[in-house]
Order: sequence, then C-alpha cells, then structure tokens
Amino acid sequence: MSATSTPDATSGAQRSGRAPAPVQSVPLGARIRSGLTHNPLLVLLVVMVAALQVTTGTALNWGNLRGVLLDAAVIAIVAVPGAMLVICGYIDLSVGSTLALGGVVAGKVMANGQGNPAVAVVLAVAVGAFVGLVNGLLSTYFGLSSFIVTLGSLTAVRGVAQLLSPLPVNTFGDTFGFLGIGTIAGVPLAVWLALAALLIAGAVLTMTPVGRHVYAIGVNREAAFLSGVRVQQVPLVVFVLSGAAAAFAGVVTVARLNSAPAGQLGLGFELQVLTAVLLGGVALTGGEGGMFGVTLGVLFLGMLRNGLTLLGVTTFWQSVASGVALVAAIAIAKGTHSVRQRLEARAAPTPKSSGGNA
Amino acid sequence: MGLVLQGLTKRYGATLALDGVDLTIPSGSVHGLLGHNGAGKSTLIKCLGGATSPTAGTMELDGQPLVDLTPRRAIASGVAVIYQHLSLVGNLSVADNLFLGQEVRSGGVLVHARHQREAAAATLAELGSSISPRTLVRDLPIGQRQLVEVAKALQRNARLLVLDEPTASLAGDEAARLVELVERLRERGLAILYVTHLLAEVTRLADRVSTLRDGKQVFESDMAGLTTADLAASVSGRSAGRPPAPPAPPADPPVVLRTRRLQGRGMGPVDLDLRAGEVVALFGLVGSGRTRILETLYRGGTQETEVDGTPVAVGSPAKSLRAGICLVPGDRRTQGLFGRLSALDNSVFGVLASLGRGPVRSRAAERRAFTDVARHVALRPLVPELPAENFSGGNQQKVLISRSLQQGDRLRVLLLDEPTQGVDVGARAEIYDVVHRLAARGAAVLFATNEADEVLALAHRCLVVRDGRIVEELDVADLQPRDLVVRLHDAPAHQERNSA
Repeated sequence: MSATSTPDATSGAQRSGRAPAPVQSVPLGARIRSGLTHNPLLVLLVVMVAALQVTTGTALNWGNLRGVLLDAAVIAIVAVPGAMLVICGYIDLSVGSTLALGGVVAGKVMANGQGNPAVAVVLAVAVGAFVGLVNGLLSTYFGLSSFIVTLGSLTAVRGVAQLLSPLPVNTFGDTFGFLGIGTIAGVPLAVWLALAALLIAGAVLTMTPVGRHVYAIGVNREAAFLSGVRVQQVPLVVFVLSGAAAAFAGVVTVARLNSAPAGQLGLGFELQVLTAVLLGGVALTGGEGGMFGVTLGVLFLGMLRNGLTLLGVTTFWQSVASGVALVAAIAIAKGTHSVRQRLEARAAPTPKSSGGNA
Repeated sequence: MGLVLQGLTKRYGATLALDGVDLTIPSGSVHGLLGHNGAGKSTLIKCLGGATSPTAGTMELDGQPLVDLTPRRAIASGVAVIYQHLSLVGNLSVADNLFLGQEVRSGGVLVHARHQREAAAATLAELGSSISPRTLVRDLPIGQRQLVEVAKALQRNARLLVLDEPTASLAGDEAARLVELVERLRERGLAILYVTHLLAEVTRLADRVSTLRDGKQVFESDMAGLTTADLAASVSGRSAGRPPAPPAPPADPPVVLRTRRLQGRGMGPVDLDLRAGEVVALFGLVGSGRTRILETLYRGGTQETEVDGTPVAVGSPAKSLRAGICLVPGDRRTQGLFGRLSALDNSVFGVLASLGRGPVRSRAAERRAFTDVARHVALRPLVPELPAENFSGGNQQKVLISRSLQQGDRLRVLLLDEPTQGVDVGARAEIYDVVHRLAARGAAVLFATNEADEVLALAHRCLVVRDGRIVEELDVADLQPRDLVVRLHDAPAHQERNSA
C-alpha cells in the first residue's frame, strides 16, 4: 500500500484494488452448538430432570415444582445483582446477613400483625440498600478488596440483626404473609418477581450501554477507565442493588416463615447464591456470564436438592452432593471450553497475521 | 565454547519473527544485540529463556544442545535471562531469593538459613556488592535488585547471561555500576548477550555486535574500529534513504490543540500546539517521559488546554473524550483491549449510547458502524463476533484505533502511544495510512515512539523528549534516519551517565 495517500474516505482494501472485505458471520448451526457448549448446564439440567421424573415419577408434579421454584426464586432475586457484581470483578459475601437484617427489620415493623406491610418492605429494602452502599463505597471509591469488606459485613450485619431482635418476632398477619406464600395465577409471587428481575437484568446487560460497561469493567478495568466508563459508579450501584435485593429476599423469607429469627435467617445463604452464580457460568475472574446461565444455575441447584430429597437422601448427603455438583459443573465447563474453541475455530477462520501486502 | 545458534527461526502464523539467525558468543565475551522494536530481539531472548520454542534451527551452550526448553530447563542448562521485569519476590530476603526453588536444607527438611546467607554474601561480594543478604528485596532500589537477579543467576551456575535492556530503568550512577558488573562477569568467563537500544553502551562494552532487522541478522562485526554512527546506520538500515514522507499538511491550518504548562508526575512543564491535519511525533527512549506526556494530557495533571480555541476542562479520560481527545494506549493488553469481548464490542464501545435508540442499544446500527470503520482500517478477519484477544497484534491495534475513529468528527485530537509496537510490517503501513487519512480530515495527531523510521514515515514534525521535557523541535522533511538515531542514542543524559 502506498504511503502517499489521498484524503479520501475509501477503505484500505478498496484502495489496494480489492472488493471491500465481506463481513464474515458465524452460521446459525454453529451458534447453537456454541451456545450448548457455553451452557453445558442446560444439558445437565434436562438430563437430571428427566432422570428424576423417571425414577420418582413426581419431580414434575406442579406441587413439587412450586416448592422448588419458590426456593430457587429467593436465591435468584439475590443472584441477579450478585452475578452482575462478579461479572464486573467484585463479590458480595454479606447477602446472607443482609437477608437476616432485612427480615428482622420487616419483622419488627410487622410484629404481632400491627404494622403497615408497605412500610415494612420499604424500610427493610432501604436498610439493605444502605448496607450495600457501605460495601460499595469501601470496595470502589476506597479501593478495598470487596472480598474482605463483605466478609467483614457478613459478620457485622448479622450482629446488628441480632442486636435489633434478640428474641424472634412473629405472627405478621395475612397481608404481609402474602409476600411469602401468596400466588398470582397459581405461581408464587416471589417467582414472578425473580423472573422479572432476571429478565430486566438480562435486558440491561445485553441491550444497554451500561450493560456492556459492566462486562468491560470486569474484563479490563484500566481500559474501561481510559474509555471514559464510570468505573466506580457502576459497581457501586450494583452493590446497592445487591444489598436491597438481599433485604427483600429477607422480607419474603420471614413472610413465609411468619417469624424472624435473627440468628438463623439466611445462614450460609451467601454461599448458595455464589454457588448458583458460578454454576451458571459466571467466571470469578470477571467479564463472563449472563442471566440465562444464572437462571440455569439457580434451577439446577434447586432441582438437585429437591431431587435428592425425593430420592430419600438425607440432608447431610445433600450438602455433599451440592458441593460435588459445583466442582463437577466447573470441571465440565472447562472440558467443554476446548470443544468450544474447536467449534469456533471451524466456524470462523482463525486470524493469522494481518498480512497487509500479502 | 560458549553459545552457538544456527539457523534459528521462529514463525508466528504468517509472520517470521526470526529468520535463520546464526550467532556465536564465546565464553568470556560480551555480544551486543541491536535492532528496532519488532526486529526479533525479544523473540530471540524468549527462545533462549525457554518462554517459546524455535520453529527451526539449533541452540547449543558449551557443546550441549538446548532442546525443548522450558524456563525451568533453560535455567538448569545454564541459561540466565534477566528480563526488564525482574523475577524476584519482594517479600523475601536477598538470600531467600538467591536460593528460591533450590533451598539448602539441613536434615533434608528445614531451610539452612545461615548457610544460605553466607553463600549469598559470598556471591554478592564476588559481584562487588555489599548488600546484606537479610535485606528484603522490596527495600532495594531497582539497580540493586538487578544485581541480586544477576547474583541469583550465578548461584545457579549460569554460563550464558542474557541482559534485556538492562539500563532502561536505571538512573545514571546505577547504569555505570551495571557496566562494571558486566565487565566483572566477562572476566568470570560467562558468555553475555547484551540487548539494548543504546549504541554508546554497545561501543563501551561489547566485543562483538550484531543487528537484527525483520527477524534477519543484517549486520555482524567485531567492535574494534566501529563507531556509533556505523551502528546507527546498521539499525536504521538505510545509509542514504529514508521512508517515503507523509502527505503534506494543508498550508497555514488552524490550531486544534493548544496546551500550556502541562505538568504531571515525572514530566513537564510542556507547551504544545497541534494544528489541523498535522501529525507530530514525541521521540524519545523508554523512560524519557514521552508516554507520560501523552497520559498526563489525557488523564489530567495540571494544564491549560484549548481544543479548537475553546478552553476545555481536562482531568479525567471521560472529560478528555468529551473534549474530542482520544488516547490509544501503548500497552494494548492491560490498558486498551477488552480481550474477551468481541471486536464489535471493542470498536463501538465508546459510542454505544449515541448509536442506540434511547436507552436501548441498536445492534443493527452498531454492526453498520463497526463494519464501516473496520473496513476503513482494513481489519482482518472481518468477523464482528471474534474476541479481540484472538486477533493478531496489528489487527488488535486496528481494533483499538477504530474505537477512536468511531467518534467520527467529534475526534479532534488522537494520541497514540507506540502505535506500531508488536505490529507486523504490512499492518504497520495500513495503520500509518489510517492516521494520515484521519489527519487529512482536519484532526491533529500526536504519537510517541522511539523508532526513527516511524517518525519519518508518519510525522510532519518531531519533538525530541528527554527527562519529561521537549528538548528539541525538528522539521521532519529535512531529516535522515541517522539524524534521529544519533539524537536518541547519544543523548547528553547518557553520556553523563556513562562518565559518572
């Protein structure tokens, strides 16, 4: 290519006497194959559900499914912002305690069926958002490790919840109870809310600029900063959402239980959320994953526990199985990664050198 | 005895990084290796250090063939590579670093700390150093860390020492001490490969010298009787010619960027005037502050800056972007590219909002915008979905430049840091072409480089940078490559450093 260029706007390819390079796309078949290898969990989930249905015959009964979905929904509501945090390179370990705090706050307001349910929900969510704000400020603007910050608040917030309510409050009344056990069109309210959260988050991540910013911050924070992205503000907002969502999950939980035991609410919940997020293909290193995967992860975890219960496996063995499932799923994901790369290599020509004058 | 390389060849895809290099370094001698960025020096070092394996050719050290090297096996075979980024553990003491991975044990279990300290002190003393073996490495200045790295190599019975730009990060007196160290090591009978940009160091230290260009060894000679001018000519490769000049800027153009008292950490104060259609080089070595000038201009620092005559608030990348200033950073991997995201996402990243409808992204508009600009920069392959990290170096750079070009007419000033580092020759010409066409549209371009040829092929005006300041302004039209190479390598700062 000659260096004595003219100030025209034609492309380099045209000027060197070739037709404009065609845009190469990945064909649909390859996309489906690649989608399956991206989400090996989908295959596993289908196989597991089919196997359970065959062996127990009750896995797909609506009564059973409703229970599974309700459990999964509480995790999903928190996993949505949780996954977004992991995608942008942060983590929130405090959600179990924030759930307890939210539950206790709502419970205090509603004690003995006296309070206003709307006030209870708003106050609980506001308190949760405040926890998220503190976590977020320390992790983003102060640059502390979010792992350590939220590990600290995991302990501290649990303490606050217990201080607020040394003795469990209970009997909250039917209106409030609807949040926990009510259904709309036969489906639990929490499931509708989880579905809405997943859809909205999925849309934000894939369809809006800020969604792309979330990924960019996780992939390369410095490059995102140099590209003008608000690399502190975006994760801060997600931290606030994470706290608010955890507190809301607490409201749902105490409404279901009709009791708010500060010491027991949401114990180990943060690990269930993280397990579901990681099962769903969100990489702990950031920048990878999406809401479809999170949905699968939450459902997989719920179906697994439920299936084991149906099969008469004891709780302790269920914990063993969930742990093994996480490691196995990640091993499988790693295994399919190489398959995926081969497929992608076949679908799109591998770039060699740019070969400008070749 | 010593190092013998025969027909060493390394191919990356379609690019020949090394093309049949023959090299012999007898024990007890220093061999200087010169060449541009991308000439193949780094690849040669990586082959020796086991970081990559050659496609063809043989390597032999003291009669033993070096085959299937890994970094670990290279060390075991007596090859020690001192990279610019040192491989020491800051939290460990000097002695612990020296014995890392081959600790002396008492009773087969516990580390024999006293024995290690004594041995470390002995090795350091041989190198003429009195660093205490108990000192933590992180408490040492950079020059002494380098010495510790060399001591570590000796502790491992290295017989070939490869030094990669050893003085690039050193202050004047530290560099002088390094020169003494290299002389001591030569006396000890090591074969030393000394890779550098600084001609004066080669003249001072080397017994023999060779020059790489485009992967080939184009020059090899004993040092006796050679001058730095001969070396400069061998590096630039044209004793008389120069690359074709860039298209001339329009006559008497308006000033696009006017910056006064630009000052930041390690640079300034600097005044800059960039005119419409003008391409200006910041020419200096690594560490001269050329990158700092670009980064300070883009990220903040104190400055009074006007774009097209309007004072603008600069102070963060977001503000610079709003003012029409874009930066293509020098370190693509850590500062520029979103590796796992697609080429399309990388390219349109800065204009997602303006391409969308309301808050929602428009895939169709993004794809059109990507395709337009990707064709303009001749991106290959033109696959929007391909992750950016899967492109070759040159095409990664095109993706990054395309991110700035997406700004369209809002782009008034493009800052490029080492625009063709790790970019092969073909893509390099294409990138130059893209820059010139951008300038022809009335934007101003400021780029940093240490390559004379790049200045001559790309710039209208050259600002020589030293110690964070602009020390000389040159009209590129009357320059020969050698004029620039000499300015770079025989800079007064280095003469002071060598006589210190």
